[in-house]
Amino acid sequence: MIALRNEVGAEILKSIRAPEFVIPTLLMPSAFYFLFGITLSRGGNNAAYFLATYGVFAVMGPAIFGFGIGVANERERGWLELKRLLPAPPYSYVLAKLLATLLFAAAALIPLYFLAGFVGNVRLPLSAWSGLYLLHLLSCIPFACIGLSLGFRFNSSGAIALSNVIYLGLAVLGGLWMPVFVFPDWMQTVALATPTYHFAELALSIVDKSNSESLLTNLSIVIAMSFAFAGLATLSWLKAK
Amino acid sequence: MDARQTVIQTEKLTLMYSDFCALNSLELSVPSQGITAILGSNGAGKTSFIKCALGLIPYQAGLIHVMGKSAGDRSLLSHMGVMMQEADLPDLLTPREHLTLICSYFDDNASVEDLIRECDLEAFADKRYRLLSGGQKKRVQFAASIAGKPKLVFLDEPTTGLDTKARKVLWNKIRELSDTGTAVVLTTHYLEEADALADYTIVMHAGRTIAHGPALQIRNSLSGSRVRCVSNVRLDIIEKSTNTIKAQYSGKRLEVICKDGTTAARELFELDPNLSDLTVESTDLEDAFEHLIAQQEPISIVSESNTSDISTELKQ
Repeated sequence: MIALRNEVGAEILKSIRAPEFVIPTLLMPSAFYFLFGITLSRGGNNAAYFLATYGVFAVMGPAIFGFGIGVANERERGWLELKRLLPAPPYSYVLAKLLATLLFAAAALIPLYFLAGFVGNVRLPLSAWSGLYLLHLLSCIPFACIGLSLGFRFNSSGAIALSNVIYLGLAVLGGLWMPVFVFPDWMQTVALATPTYHFAELALSIVDKSNSESLLTNLSIVIAMSFAFAGLATLSWLKAK
Repeated sequence: MDARQTVIQTEKLTLMYSDFCALNSLELSVPSQGITAILGSNGAGKTSFIKCALGLIPYQAGLIHVMGKSAGDRSLLSHMGVMMQEADLPDLLTPREHLTLICSYFDDNASVEDLIRECDLEAFADKRYRLLSGGQKKRVQFAASIAGKPKLVFLDEPTTGLDTKARKVLWNKIRELSDTGTAVVLTTHYLEEADALADYTIVMHAGRTIAHGPALQIRNSLSGSRVRCVSNVRLDIIEKSTNTIKAQYSGKRLEVICKDGTTAARELFELDPNLSDLTVESTDLEDAFEHLIAQQEPISIVSESNTSDISTELKQ
């Protein structure tokens, strides 16, 4: 337990000491939300819509970059091999990274929610605020699994490039920056294959903005994709060993 | 060597990388006391042996026991310390933070403050790891390797890339560690390092042990002399002498490794009465090492037929 606590502490310290990680992951989603979700969309109903989608975008950064680049870098410099020779519980490294990622995701959501409430005039019942916050936090998990797979399979420069492509690609195609209904038909079809789209639909349902015909389908797809990404991450981990 | 006195024992240990035989039926014993230096040129199999002993890579045939258990047994991890040549600590933590984390993995651990003091890390204990010099980083890695009060420590090329001063500081720490009763396995290609530190020496070449024994004995296995001078004598004439083991020129400076220094000096004077700057010294570990390597046959690549022989002995 002490080892896990220290491991989480170390992960948090490593993250906050890397401005190239902290600034884009903590501040960029809020800045984008302020610009596109509030200012350009003139607040109110649209601000609530974009709060739901930009919340998913906000947690993707810590999850994909924290795991993908962090793991690739530490694997490359031999730290993971060295850790195999220490009597640390085998799961502690990944668990500590996941807990630190959840903490960063939670932190990244705070300015977003403040902007929504105080600048965008989003008005929701407390249960909706807390439900949305919980859903946004949970949406970290499949993206962390994607990051973990990248970290175990690619070197750090490869992981940086791929993380960016996946991060921005899933955000745009999943309708996190602009609603899917403005896309051409083929892009709307592609969106259905992204986890971001289904998470966004679940989040939109909490703020009463979802166009989904079946939230149960969205939920099932999200769960199935999470298991698939977790399986991929496990395979990548075993292969890297 | 009695099995009770050994901390690592291999029997016909064989490791293949594709068609390259990194360890070729390696027979090796590491004593449970003192510093054991494993010497060998690049590709001799030193790091491969260490990785097998640590359970990091699966071997194809043979056996390796570490502290009486099969290599890779997780229960060994609490009793071993490791400093790997190619493994580094994360950049963004300080030495104190690294040691706090690593100590917490062990049930019976050293105190962080003791490690900082014993390894002379006070001056930079709270500085980020990436800002440290090469020598400082190695000392932090060394401190990390002894965080769990290990009975056995592997140091894989611990001083590679360090300047002479930093290397000697680390040598003192390694010697102090050995004096506490911890068995130290040190791989190095610095013969001076092995000469300064080792109680027992194992010389590897092409994945095999070609010599082993107390360091002094290995050094004395080539009881001869090194003669140096500035001369114009032709090399082929010197090499014809039965007294000569090896001769080479470095610019105008001639170096002759020979069985008897006085005889060699006399022969050289006869060949070149104008020679100058003559010195005669006893041979050292480096000469013995080169002599041992020169006596070996060229490195052989294991043929397909040999590979199939190995596969029949695959370890369960």
